[in-house]
Amino acid sequence: MLKLRNIVGQCFVLKRHISALYITGDKANENYVTLQPFLDFTGTFRDKVTLQQSIDSRGLNINLESVLAKYATYQTHHEQLQRLEDEREKVTKELKLLTKSAGKSELLDKLRARGKELRNEVKSLKQTLYPIEDDFIHDYLHLPNVLHAHCPQTDEEKLIYRHKPPPTATPVAMHLDRKDLIHFLDNNRYYMMEQAAHFDVDAMQAMVRYFVTHGDFIQTCNPDFVRCVLLEANATPLSQYHLVREEHLLNKLNTAYLTGGGAFESFLGTVTKLSVYPSVLPLRYVACGRSYNREEGLANGPTPSLYTATQTNAVQSFVATQTADEADAELEQVLNMAINFYKALDVPFRIVYVPAASLTPSESLRASIEVYAPSLKRYVCVGRISNYGDYVSKRILFSTRREKHYEFLHLVGGPVLYTTRLIAALIELGIKLEANKLPGALHLGPSMQAMDQHQRDLQEFKDLFK
Amino acid sequence: MKLLTNVQKLLLLNCRNSMNRRLIKSTTKEAAHDQPAITSAQLDELERNVLMRHHRNNIPRIRQLVEDVQVDRGQGAEDTRQELAAELQQLPNATHPRLLTYDNKAMELAKFEHRLQPERAKEFSELARTLNLYRMEHLGNYTGHKSYYLMGQLAMLEQAIIQYALKSLTRNKFNLISVPDLLPRGIIESCGMRTEGERTQVYKLDIGECLSGTSEMALAGYFANRQLTERELPLKVAAVSRCYRAETSGLHEEKGIYRVHQFTKVEMFAIATADQSEPTLEELKNIEIDLFKQLGINFRLLDMPPCELGAPAYQKYDIEAWMPGRQMWGEISSCSNCTDYQAKRLNITYKRACDGAVVYVHTLNGTATAIPRLLIALIESYQSGDHIQIPEVLVPFMNEQRAITKNKKVPETKLVKFVKTGCIR
Repeated sequence: MLKLRNIVGQCFVLKRHISALYITGDKANENYVTLQPFLDFTGTFRDKVTLQQSIDSRGLNINLESVLAKYATYQTHHEQLQRLEDEREKVTKELKLLTKSAGKSELLDKLRARGKELRNEVKSLKQTLYPIEDDFIHDYLHLPNVLHAHCPQTDEEKLIYRHKPPPTATPVAMHLDRKDLIHFLDNNRYYMMEQAAHFDVDAMQAMVRYFVTHGDFIQTCNPDFVRCVLLEANATPLSQYHLVREEHLLNKLNTAYLTGGGAFESFLGTVTKLSVYPSVLPLRYVACGRSYNREEGLANGPTPSLYTATQTNAVQSFVATQTADEADAELEQVLNMAINFYKALDVPFRIVYVPAASLTPSESLRASIEVYAPSLKRYVCVGRISNYGDYVSKRILFSTRREKHYEFLHLVGGPVLYTTRLIAALIELGIKLEANKLPGALHLGPSMQAMDQHQRDLQEFKDLFK
Repeated sequence: MKLLTNVQKLLLLNCRNSMNRRLIKSTTKEAAHDQPAITSAQLDELERNVLMRHHRNNIPRIRQLVEDVQVDRGQGAEDTRQELAAELQQLPNATHPRLLTYDNKAMELAKFEHRLQPERAKEFSELARTLNLYRMEHLGNYTGHKSYYLMGQLAMLEQAIIQYALKSLTRNKFNLISVPDLLPRGIIESCGMRTEGERTQVYKLDIGECLSGTSEMALAGYFANRQLTERELPLKVAAVSRCYRAETSGLHEEKGIYRVHQFTKVEMFAIATADQSEPTLEELKNIEIDLFKQLGINFRLLDMPPCELGAPAYQKYDIEAWMPGRQMWGEISSCSNCTDYQAKRLNITYKRACDGAVVYVHTLNGTATAIPRLLIALIESYQSGDHIQIPEVLVPFMNEQRAITKNKKVPETKLVKFVKTGCIR
């Protein structure tokens, strides 16, 4: 099912003739170029066997041989263009020298004629090159990341942690039956009341506070719209998010999508084209906000419920490191913190590495945090953390600079909590929706209430003197 | 002068079909004597209200349509009736008589100034940028026009304000509800917000749904088609939601995060009987005053004139905070009594205890805390040299931190245009 959706998603992307991420020169007049991704052909094609393995394991419909053939044509044309450009430069220099030294007019004329000839040749070669470039680069941009050594290449997920076995078959009511807590209309519209509503806010805040105080993360609040160029850079299937209809859209290619500030893609805006000092690395961000992924929950269907709903509160992590090893360590650290968080609820959950076929092309590894959902009789994903290597960074030019050289950063991150699905599972498991037992929960001292009163009295007193 | 009452408006809006029938009947002299027909004088009164509120004057069109319905009883009559119904739907609520003397200027009811203003106060963007806690520049192509990131302690402050407001609302017996941000067009329009036209503030999605501009709409929608009991009233609920507004501004004084497309807001919403609605509005107002008094910012309470009420409000209070960096009063909160305007459109009723009659409720809404502008007021008011003091009441929600200082861990915004192949390691 997932595999099929990935393929459908891919086809959707492949159908786009013009990408917002890479715009060739002939189209640059009508379409503003917002970003020039770093296209690392050498790096990508260095290990063809591993790349082919990644394509096969993910079940992608990509013919690497054909892409390589296109690359060869592209390279030949490019080299030819480079030769012409070099010669043109040489002629220009000679012309300048001759004019200065008042050289023979015959030679001057000859050089001028050659210059014109070269100009026209470059122009016509560029025209020939545009469609070749278009064809190749778009294929190139669809090539996936290589897989991480831990990523299962079979159809089976790999269990890496489990807390408590799923409860044995006692009949459970579905969460939607709790009309006092949930009013569900459809996947876009539901309401949560009473302790479910409080847990929705409090659990999200607790987890962020835990990451800030115990994991040295920097808290952020992110935008809810992300433009197409960043979704393409992250290889996010565009069908995952709702398109926002904008009245005055300047760049028709670069449309906005409603991701929510609690989506991974929302972090990319603040690091696009960013060059940071190595001293700030590893850079650890955590945000709370909405997430509106309309496809992710469908795997928990077909019956619509809180497990399939589009909107949820989310805690999103984002870490940038200099090396792959550091990225591995950070992923482990985020997972450890997530384990502590879910353990505090004493909920049956597990962490698995999902099979390659379920990854988006930019992910090299994904760990999925799954809580047992009694009504579905299986585990559902309430969070996930992925390793993106430097695949996304290269596309959005997120780098650090050392001794005049750029190094693209390795990214790790993902939503570590989707409150809506967790609440549904907790209700079905009969676990109380209490956020105060969570690590990072707000524990107001007994003086809090009194302090309010004290503050108020003080204020009233001050007001007397106005 | 007393304007058309809600009872009369209810006749106009809720009994559209029967009204149309009456209009026709009145010409054929078959009108029932117990059902008053709409008179030209009533339309005159409606027009005075529309003009006073600076609302789009559609009364001439309504007059025309009323005439057309009377004349045409054939095939075209149904279309005319539908258009008439749509035009009547656009009319604003009646106006509280108190406001008629305001001459379209807000009346300042109270001023709360308990804080000495910092000398040579700096503006929010400058302060937040210096402290490395905020980014708004060069984002249009990536996360959209006027999008912003809050970093470190500023992002923490946002959540602290939410929690602070929720604690206060819980104490005041509000029930928290998690609300959807995607709503069908009908609900938004029933709340008195237009979704079509050049200047609509409502974002629409590819699937046809709209993005909510305030959780008031989702909360009102929650109660749509419900019949409550009088015992349940006044019913008070609250929500934390993300608000989306397509509006934009090029005004210098509205630069930075003053007017943005997306922000978080804690909202109060109440449902009351007609008798309860005025005291409930006072309660919402007092809660707002209390929230801002404790935050220690300087603010004033305004009673808004007819032209500032929008379509659904019968009366509205605004709270404006002094923003010393901008040297201006900026609206940070408001509360409105929409009487039965939204209830009629969403069919929210209650069973009256005394006679068992089913009548429309009154709806009210108020802002507890709307983040971006409250951040402006707080940061500008509490600036103190190279740091920002954290208001005492927020300290427990800020992990006991008392000051906001420069963040050295957030990278500064140094952007590259492109990276050449030869420049990478």
